Amino acid sequence: MLHREKIKLLVPGALSGRACFSALREFWRRMFSGDPTQSHQNPISLARSFDGQPSSPELHGVIAILKTIRQRILANALLRGWAKGFVWMLAVLIAVAAVSAKLAGALLVIAALSAAGAAAVLAWSWRNRPSHYETARRLDSAAGLKDRISTAIYLGGMADSDGMIGEQRKDALAHLRKVEPRGFFPVQWPGNARRAFVLALLAAGLFAYRIHHQAPLISLLKSTAHSQLVQSILSPIVHAMEKDLQRTVALVSMKPDATGEETPRSDAASSSDDLWKADDKAAAEEQKDAADAGEGDQPQDQLQAPGSQEGNPSGEARQQENNSQSQEGKSGNESADDKSQQQSEQQGPEGRQSLGQSLMQALKNMMSNSPNQQSNNRAAQKPSAQGTPQSGNSQQPGATESDKRGESRGNSDAKQKATQTASEGAGSQQGSKELRKDQETHPVNAVPDRVALEASGFKEQTRMKVATETGTAQLADRGLSPQQDAVTNGAEQENIPARYRFYVQRYFEHADNGKH
Amino acid sequence: MTSSVGTEGQTGGQPLGQQAEFLAEKMAEVRGEISKAIVGQTEVVDGVLIALLAGGHVLLEGAPGLGKTMLVRTLAQAVALKYSRIQFTPDLMPADVIGTSVVQENGDGRKSLGFQPGPIFTNLLLADEINRATPKTQSALLEAMQEKQVTVAHTSHLLEEPFFVMATQNPLEMEGTYPLPEAQLDRFLFKLRVPYPGREDLHDILDRTTRGAAAIVSPVVNGTQILEMRKVVRTVPVAPHVQEYVVKLTLATHPENRENLLASKYIRYGSSPRGAQTLILGGKVRALLDGRYNVSMEDIQALMLPALRHRIILNFEAQADGRTPDDLLEEIAGKVCAK
Repeated sequence: MLHREKIKLLVPGALSGRACFSALREFWRRMFSGDPTQSHQNPISLARSFDGQPSSPELHGVIAILKTIRQRILANALLRGWAKGFVWMLAVLIAVAAVSAKLAGALLVIAALSAAGAAAVLAWSWRNRPSHYETARRLDSAAGLKDRISTAIYLGGMADSDGMIGEQRKDALAHLRKVEPRGFFPVQWPGNARRAFVLALLAAGLFAYRIHHQAPLISLLKSTAHSQLVQSILSPIVHAMEKDLQRTVALVSMKPDATGEETPRSDAASSSDDLWKADDKAAAEEQKDAADAGEGDQPQDQLQAPGSQEGNPSGEARQQENNSQSQEGKSGNESADDKSQQQSEQQGPEGRQSLGQSLMQALKNMMSNSPNQQSNNRAAQKPSAQGTPQSGNSQQPGATESDKRGESRGNSDAKQKATQTASEGAGSQQGSKELRKDQETHPVNAVPDRVALEASGFKEQTRMKVATETGTAQLADRGLSPQQDAVTNGAEQENIPARYRFYVQRYFEHADNGKH
Repeated sequence: MTSSVGTEGQTGGQPLGQQAEFLAEKMAEVRGEISKAIVGQTEVVDGVLIALLAGGHVLLEGAPGLGKTMLVRTLAQAVALKYSRIQFTPDLMPADVIGTSVVQENGDGRKSLGFQPGPIFTNLLLADEINRATPKTQSALLEAMQEKQVTVAHTSHLLEEPFFVMATQNPLEMEGTYPLPEAQLDRFLFKLRVPYPGREDLHDILDRTTRGAAAIVSPVVNGTQILEMRKVVRTVPVAPHVQEYVVKLTLATHPENRENLLASKYIRYGSSPRGAQTLILGGKVRALLDGRYNVSMEDIQALMLPALRHRIILNFEAQADGRTPDDLLEEIAGKVCAK
């Protein structure tokens, strides 16, 4: 391709064989020729051509010295390259001996690679070997000859047309006799020879160990994997990840025509309507409730949605609600269906329909993208409807019929006791409590609390999100995970203290009165 | 237009090697003669001698009382050249420097316009406090310094060879001065900074100048020999890697060079090709003065500052950061050497 472009440049509009040949020849000449008259870009490589030029007989002794020095420089370069390659090879050998179960094949590959690397280093060193001119430069620099030898070598092929070249040559030879040039370029051990020696000892010890034992890293990993500490650390994480995955699957497979999803949404909507339409007294009570809830269960409030945050009862009250809800859940689901229907009838139909339409549209879009997942998730949600630990998670709006019933039941009970938002909090507690029951069988006691908090928080955030029209509509469009979206919406409303809401409400009321 | 240079050189028919040796010996003698009157200042004296043999001009910069004028006068005595001094002042006119046409009367009583040469028609010109003259007068030296001729009334008058201008300027008193334009600065081969003498040198100065009589400087070489030496200088060979180093060094001062971030950051205008010519020519002279017949990297590095410090123009950012041309050049040279 590059050649073709070059050919196009050389012969615009035509592509003949002769042009190809000339372009290739030009490319080859530019890449590999060492003609010093062509360019001054790389005078050192170009100066290699001086090696083949005839030089003055006076300089033959100098050239012999330079050859010796060049051999030593080449030897040092080879030793450095080989030592570096040897270190890498030993490192690979140690790694292989520590990991691999079968050494024979790996050793053969490493041996072949080492041989190829050594040959490559040899070829590279020979390819980049210093010319006589470059060797003379190094000798000048090492012996402090102020570029006398290199200039003499450079001028060695030229005829002594004027006396200055001869004088310069004599001067260079005279100064070269005063020093011992070979002493400046001894053959030295490379700098990483000690490191290579240590690695060689380590590799030898490891291979001696491997004669009667298996790979130490494998055995170490096995013993570590079976240790109780690792099990206690990893198993809760695995459980939490599995449940997160199941929640995601359940959320994706939500039914759009579910009646249960409207219940929490309508609850949240009504609670938000009540919040903004309540009189001064109700606002003061809400503020008081919020303060109590913040003092009673602060971490859980942070995870919950703000809509339910202000209506949270105290810990004892929620405990009672949970107990009653669990008993009711055992008694039957039919009464819960009736209550949920009554509750949905009591709430305003218009706001619910608009919110429900937007949510349903979003869910339809989502479901149309993943029909296969929906079918799989329905199958996976069947056991959750039978009271398994999945039921706490499946209380997401519109998951299954039984879940919707349970959720609507919890909301209706809570409405009879306190506010609707308080009933949402009770519903969340139900889910977390079921999770705790499930995790009691787990050997670690500290982790299930964390899992339960996440589950309850997630559920509450989702419910709040259903109650928020814009958040619900943007759920499917943004493609964000519901948990992230719910946290965002919760953070938006959580930062508005109740007294500010009260102040704003009063302000608008006064404004309306003034207008009218 | 007359020539007072010696009519016969002493080195004309000798081999180049002997001429080079002769050059080194004579310059060592000149250095010895100058040291009779000038204490210390070896780098300045060497720079002046290198510029003299390379065929360039020198700008001496230093505080008053450091011996700049005495150095020039002593050099003129040691090399047996005609010497003129022009004290540059704001009201100095170009005609006061290069001469003018005046009405002259010949023996027949006929009157005609004749050229009256100015003080520039000499071998060794001392332009004292050159930055005190107006740019118009300063520019009168441009043609003389580069082309060794002056043009008056459409007539060019050649200057005598060797023509060597040594200008001085005081860096302290900047009020009422006219900084030299870049074109004028580029004409100077070297810009030499005259430092304050050290402790020992100051003792020596006091001993010499306050006790006995003034030292008598004897002429060592003449103009013809200097011209022959200039020819010898140009035969000194330069190895390709040394020339490549000079080219890299010159290009590294250009702000357009993207490889050198230092130059693009601080330098507004880099060195001209005259800078590279100066480095090579000065390196050749320095090599001969050192007894060598080839230019080395050491010669280039030693001459880098006097040859390039007045050829780069710093930008505002460099001035704001307090950077000087010398430290910038040293950094650039270090980077070029590292490559």
